[in-house]
Amino acid sequence: MDVLEVPGVLESLQPIADFVKEASAEAGLERREAYRLRLAVDEIATNVVLYGYERSGQTGLLRIAKNLDSERLTLCLEDTSPPYDPTAQAPPSDLSESLESRPIGGLGVFLTIQGVDDFRYEYVEGHNRNYFTVRRPAAV
Amino acid sequence: MHIELRDVGDVRVVALTGDLDGKSAPAAQEQLLPLIPPSGSVLLDLSGVDYMSSAGLRMMLLVYRHAQSVSSRIALVGLSEDIQDTMSATGFLDFFVLSDSVDAGVQALAAP
Repeated sequence: MDVLEVPGVLESLQPIADFVKEASAEAGLERREAYRLRLAVDEIATNVVLYGYERSGQTGLLRIAKNLDSERLTLCLEDTSPPYDPTAQAPPSDLSESLESRPIGGLGVFLTIQGVDDFRYEYVEGHNRNYFTVRRPAAV
Repeated sequence: MHIELRDVGDVRVVALTGDLDGKSAPAAQEQLLPLIPPSGSVLLDLSGVDYMSSAGLRMMLLVYRHAQSVSSRIALVGLSEDIQDTMSATGFLDFFVLSDSVDAGVQALAAP
């Protein structure tokens, strides 16, 4: 399956995770890389549902597509909620700060960007597009 | 998300099973907070949790704060390598006592 389209609701996080796991397996990613890719996509998909669709009172779809070539796996997550560029978000506060006093939040996008080799965002014709790219392990 | 509870001596062992994501973490958090015994000890067994997103971290942060506010001691056991990675990258790991086994965690928390 190269494309999955699901409603933009929290119940769709699981089928999206399953799609990412399948793509990671096909690309031959190591366990750690596959986990981090799932985390990256899950964080952005969660934000789209909670802040893109729910907060704006809109409904819409989440669409995820995969593109696999000999060197890398790229996943594209697309939605039609209001424009939101994760890369423009401020980095989380000091990560050594006590859990007692630090602000909650900002960690999802940090984990996304940290978890993949390349993360890109674009807004095209009413669609947010988030691209997650990871290099495949070198062929033996 | 499934939550199982047992008391071992004076230590409450709370075992979570399932993924902690944006869907499950808020519900797990709601169930978990009242289970933290005031002025007591709780060992959070995460060996049944294979996945934790930032929503799970948020739950951990609120559990930590709640435990602090009711003077409870808390320790973790059964963290997968991947979840340890996430907690380490976000500076969470330093604030929790980690145990290698439930028995070790119970002993660590029971010690005066």
